[in-house]
Amino acid sequence: MLKKSYQLLLLVVLAFSLVLAGCSSNSTSSNGGKDSDSDGKLKEAEEQPLAKKEGNSITVGVADNFISMDPHDTNDTLSYSAQKSMLEGLVGFDKDMNVIPVLAEDYEASDNAKEFTFKLREGVTFHDGTPFNAEAVKVNVDRLADPDNNLKRHSLFSLVDKTEVVDEYTVKVSLKEPFGAMINNFAHPAAMMISPKALEEYGKDVARNPVGTGPYKFSEWEPGDHLSVEKNEDYWQDGLPKLDGITFKPVPENGSRVAMLQTGEADYIYPVPTEQANEIQGKDGIVIESDPSIIVRYMSMNTNKEPFNDLKVRQAINYAINKEAFVKVVMQGFGSELDSVIAPNTQFYSKQDPYKYDIEKAKQLLKEAGYENGFEATIWGSNNSSTMKGMEFLQQQLSQVGIKLDVEPMESGTMSDKIWSVENPEDAEIELYYGGWSPSTGDADWGIRPLLGGESFPPQSYNTAYYKNDKADKLINDALQTADPDVREKAYADVQKILWEDAPWAFLAVTNTMGGKKNYLEGVYLLPDGSLSVQEAEIKQ
Amino acid sequence: MLKYFVKRVVGIIPILIIVSVLIFLFVHMIPGDPARLVAGPDASYQDIELVREQLGLNESLPSQYFSFVGNIFQGDLGTSLKTKRPVFDELATRFMPTFWLSVWSMAWAVLIGLLIGVISATNRNNWKDYLGMFGAVSGISLPSFWLGLMLIQLFSVKLGWFPTGGLDSWKSYVLPSLTLGAGVAAVIARFTRSSLMDILKEDYVRTGRAKGLRERKIVWDHSLKNALIPVVTMTGLQFGFLLGGSIVIETVFSWPGLGRLLIDSVSFRDYPVIQACMLLFALEFILINLVVDLLYGVMNPQIKYE
Repeated sequence: MLKKSYQLLLLVVLAFSLVLAGCSSNSTSSNGGKDSDSDGKLKEAEEQPLAKKEGNSITVGVADNFISMDPHDTNDTLSYSAQKSMLEGLVGFDKDMNVIPVLAEDYEASDNAKEFTFKLREGVTFHDGTPFNAEAVKVNVDRLADPDNNLKRHSLFSLVDKTEVVDEYTVKVSLKEPFGAMINNFAHPAAMMISPKALEEYGKDVARNPVGTGPYKFSEWEPGDHLSVEKNEDYWQDGLPKLDGITFKPVPENGSRVAMLQTGEADYIYPVPTEQANEIQGKDGIVIESDPSIIVRYMSMNTNKEPFNDLKVRQAINYAINKEAFVKVVMQGFGSELDSVIAPNTQFYSKQDPYKYDIEKAKQLLKEAGYENGFEATIWGSNNSSTMKGMEFLQQQLSQVGIKLDVEPMESGTMSDKIWSVENPEDAEIELYYGGWSPSTGDADWGIRPLLGGESFPPQSYNTAYYKNDKADKLINDALQTADPDVREKAYADVQKILWEDAPWAFLAVTNTMGGKKNYLEGVYLLPDGSLSVQEAEIKQ
Repeated sequence: MLKYFVKRVVGIIPILIIVSVLIFLFVHMIPGDPARLVAGPDASYQDIELVREQLGLNESLPSQYFSFVGNIFQGDLGTSLKTKRPVFDELATRFMPTFWLSVWSMAWAVLIGLLIGVISATNRNNWKDYLGMFGAVSGISLPSFWLGLMLIQLFSVKLGWFPTGGLDSWKSYVLPSLTLGAGVAAVIARFTRSSLMDILKEDYVRTGRAKGLRERKIVWDHSLKNALIPVVTMTGLQFGFLLGGSIVIETVFSWPGLGRLLIDSVSFRDYPVIQACMLLFALEFILINLVVDLLYGVMNPQIKYE
């Protein structure tokens, strides 16, 4: 009798799973037959009628919780995305990470890159009615420059010596030493202006009560649930803002975030999981937008350690990896090959000759280096699924030339212990490290110095390759002594060439930003640094 | 009874002290450096050292422990390293959503679980029993994150009845509480079934049948109450787990509850929040156990408290 009951149970289970398989075929088919045509390009969105939209407010679904609304004390791109709807800086970035004037009408740098003068826009007021003027700028820059305030973004302004009010609408910032990339630090969202009155009134609670000059005003923030902003009727730019309000909702699960866009509960979501991008493109009025970011993917090699101290081994590894396949397999095609240490949208980028995928050449170089039969090495990286996929891909690729990789994924806390608690470079266990970097100031300096500068070894910074080249260091340093773009461009072109040929990394890819929107929404886009711009958002009906 | 109650309540204090030591050690022993995480990815070495000093993380473990406990006695749970808000506020805003979600999940889990359990027990080994137990096995074995996503696809995307997530109105409770309650309902159904089957074999049940009582009266009035004691114990435990917040459910449904707060805090090594969350969970379990123990007496007056 028992046996009979099991048979029955089995039958019912089978029937049930068939039904469920039917339901789910929709969302999993991309793993099946469709793979053949996923050459990585985003499907062309077919003409579809504008989706329906009620009201003049939008909801934006994001992947994580916001941490702070105080730009001076923020280091996550996500919090900046919400802040940027309410606050503005003297200068900012446009769609291609070029520095553009915002609250400053004009700016100039002295030749020695030590003095920066800003001519401010007149007639701008903060949301609380405080006038925006040179005095307000001074309060903000002073706050950032004072180490005692213990702000996360102090490091971008630690070089500031003093800030002077020249007249009501002119302000001059002097540095202790030359720093050619300073204007990019001002364009960084960290330098957005907070109302001096709010700073005084709220103290450090300004992180929960942001008052700026932006197109939207802070409305409310329920941590973990939502953050909303409302229209600033007195915004200084004509014709903006075009919406009544914006609500940001953290939705950590990829599938749920996509569902929100499908149902119209969200009008914009990011990031769109690359696995599902082609699936939802062009249905339910959804349009996916995928553009090159400034985030680079690389594998660093500890140049202090055998066998990676040998240039030939490092070059061999670069030749042994099929970068095109990397982009296709690991990033579902939503990316491009990395052809310098920094991405094309980073300032002063200069394209290098690619290491073309060539196994024979790689083998030849390994042979010359005395590793004809390959060797074994360990690769470290974080334990999220896309990183693990990347490391496994590298494992597979390098096995073709006899290099056996041991993949060791680590939880972030463990990894930071293993990499950044090492005081002496000689004690470093690290061999290969699979990492990513977004130079948030958009300048070459921040894309190169922390990662490959000779003074950036852990625990100081992020030079996991323990790479030191005096010539490169000198060029990096020289480039900071001036604000003259031509001089800097030349220096960084030379640096990039040296780094490329010295190959302290396996150069892999530049990732794409992935946003999804309903087709009635215009003017919302992701910047190459991964932050969202909603200032010009509008609904077309 | 009163004496017993007082004794139990007083007994909570040493338990909490032991728990607090364990939690503290556990939290500080997991690898990872909060100072580095607080200071952020582009912070310099000097900045990180400064942060470490300000957070008091360079002091010895015992002195950190005593300042942690000392502050608790003054009603101060500390400040979140991540958001710099008081930990009490962090917990307070997250507690109610998790609490109500737990209550709703529990309410219908008990209702459905009991019903299925009773039907199965009284229809032993016929199709109703199989169907009920099939439902129960599925409820336990379906991964809740998958079930949640399926419910979203069906009821939110296809039918548009309920929101995909968040907490806006009563509608927001439906899908997450169904998903969360499924497993609990299944466990309750199975416990009820086996417990009730045992009771139905008792002599007094046979006597009842012999004297001509209706089967319905025997089951619902005479047997079920006795069968419920293990079910209540188990239900109490389940409720304790629910109150800790389900990381999976809260992630799938973007629920602003304690489970997500805990997981976010763990990955950020936000020591004060992790400690406070775990202390809260311990306290919840202790209180639920107390309530369950007192309920025994209500269900079976023969149970005496000493």
